[in-house]
Amino acid sequence: MKNAFLFAAALALSALAACAAPLKINGSTTVNLPVAEAAEILRAEQQMDIQVDTQGGSAGGISMLGDGLVQVGMSSKPVSAEDRARYPAVQIQETHIGEDAVALIVSKDVWGGGVKALTKGQIKDIYEGRITNWKDVGGKPQRVAFFNKEPGRGTWEVFVHWVYGSPKAAPQVSFPEVGGNEETRNKVAGTRGALSQLSASWADGKKVFALGIQMDDGTIVAPTNENIATKKYPLSRPLFILTKGEPAGAAKTLIDFLLSDRGQELVKKHGYLRLKDLQ
Amino acid sequence: MTRAWSWFFSVVALATLAFLVGIFVWQSVPVWQHEGASYVTGAKWFFREKEFGALPMIYGSVVVSIVALVLAAPLGVGAAVFTAEYLPRGPRLAVKVLIELLAGVPSVVYGLLGILLLRDWIYALFAPFDLLSGDTLLTAAVLLAVMILPTIVTLSDDALRAVPAAQRRAARALGLTRAEAILHIALPQARRGLSAALLLAMGRAVGETIAVFLVVGRQDNNLPERLLSLRPLLESGQTLTSKLGSSETNIGYGDPLHWAAIVGLGLILLVLTGALTVLGASVRRTSHA
Repeated sequence: MKNAFLFAAALALSALAACAAPLKINGSTTVNLPVAEAAEILRAEQQMDIQVDTQGGSAGGISMLGDGLVQVGMSSKPVSAEDRARYPAVQIQETHIGEDAVALIVSKDVWGGGVKALTKGQIKDIYEGRITNWKDVGGKPQRVAFFNKEPGRGTWEVFVHWVYGSPKAAPQVSFPEVGGNEETRNKVAGTRGALSQLSASWADGKKVFALGIQMDDGTIVAPTNENIATKKYPLSRPLFILTKGEPAGAAKTLIDFLLSDRGQELVKKHGYLRLKDLQ
Repeated sequence: MTRAWSWFFSVVALATLAFLVGIFVWQSVPVWQHEGASYVTGAKWFFREKEFGALPMIYGSVVVSIVALVLAAPLGVGAAVFTAEYLPRGPRLAVKVLIELLAGVPSVVYGLLGILLLRDWIYALFAPFDLLSGDTLLTAAVLLAVMILPTIVTLSDDALRAVPAAQRRAARALGLTRAEAILHIALPQARRGLSAALLLAMGRAVGETIAVFLVVGRQDNNLPERLLSLRPLLESGQTLTSKLGSSETNIGYGDPLHWAAIVGLGLILLVLTGALTVLGASVRRTSHA
């Protein structure tokens, strides 16, 4: 049924390719940060024509790559077997360019009210609506305003993978939803009693604060670079560039640049861990 | 010759519309088969459990638009009375052009203003009601009210100007004051045009996407128990358009049933806005007959 659409899209795409053939990239807002900057450099230095977009997060990156609407996808989660099955004709290749951690961030009043860490059980209770007030987890009396990352976002997937084992096992809940990192940070910063999931690099410690995770043995693990690199902090995720098969042409130029020292500096600049930090 | 061409273009326009509706119906068939009538009446939307009930979103769209209209109608019609009945011709046209310029401001700009100002105002103003956040149905409604105001003003102004000046002169000659002439002669005679203005404005409100998306909170399944209660206006919600603008459109694309459910929302939206527009246009047409 969607063949007609695909056909039309393919037609439009081939028409475009005939005249200019820009390198089109789409996907995760998290991966977008270093990639957009790399694209900026390549445009200036190598006169490459690159368009970077972040429609629909990682899921959007995967589906648009699968449908042939872009040549390069960005994803902050591994491509699942299910996604691969949706596009049997496309051999999706992942190139690892760095690592990011997901932090549970709270607004200033919650942090100031004494909540600095949560256990997995407490987070589960909040997600399933059994805990609705901060006083139940050691804070001041204030309703928990939980903003859930919308489904399809890499951040959300990392979160439910850790809490429930897989996105499928996560219970269906209806919270106000947030999309990109910027929106999440601003909403949490501007709302009393707010909690949400966010890339750790965006938790600035001024407007929003990253909670530590209290492990079963009582130790508190904060999302610091060291804890992420050693995998002590449980909520982390890889950053991937996706291509159809082995990267070639303009896509290869971009990936080679991202893997070079200069590219890896961009990864670091945006608060993520470089590949060599992970070794 | 002109006649043939006008027939030709009418047919092209109609065919395009029919084609559009046809595609929406065709693409949404799986969800109608899966859910039946409960697609429209069901209150739960959990796509991973293949449960698709659109009622909370229909509620969100309708409530947000009605509240927007309630807020904007007195202001808009009032402003139109001022421009049409009190302002001399020169200033009137200047004001009208300015107001029509407002109608052309891209909606994302209104949305950003909503984020910058309105959300915090609502959050602070209604703090005694213990709001969970500033993203509420009311925030979206107030923003929409601002957005549809120019439509209401300019169409109401046209409607009032269409009332013959002789009627007003006759009223004045009979000893009515200017205010009485407006209240008892001009407004009643323009009522069809005014209703059309309100209906068309509401059509715009129902269809507005990005500005609503940014401030409505996008919370699924938040259907209040009492539909007429005002308290739910201070909670987050979801409208048909904010759902269509969400990441689910991308997720749903690979799965025929989920995709059908998304397209179905588009069909419901199309029917709602279409009905309001047709109603508005037909009321307007008969007013000049």
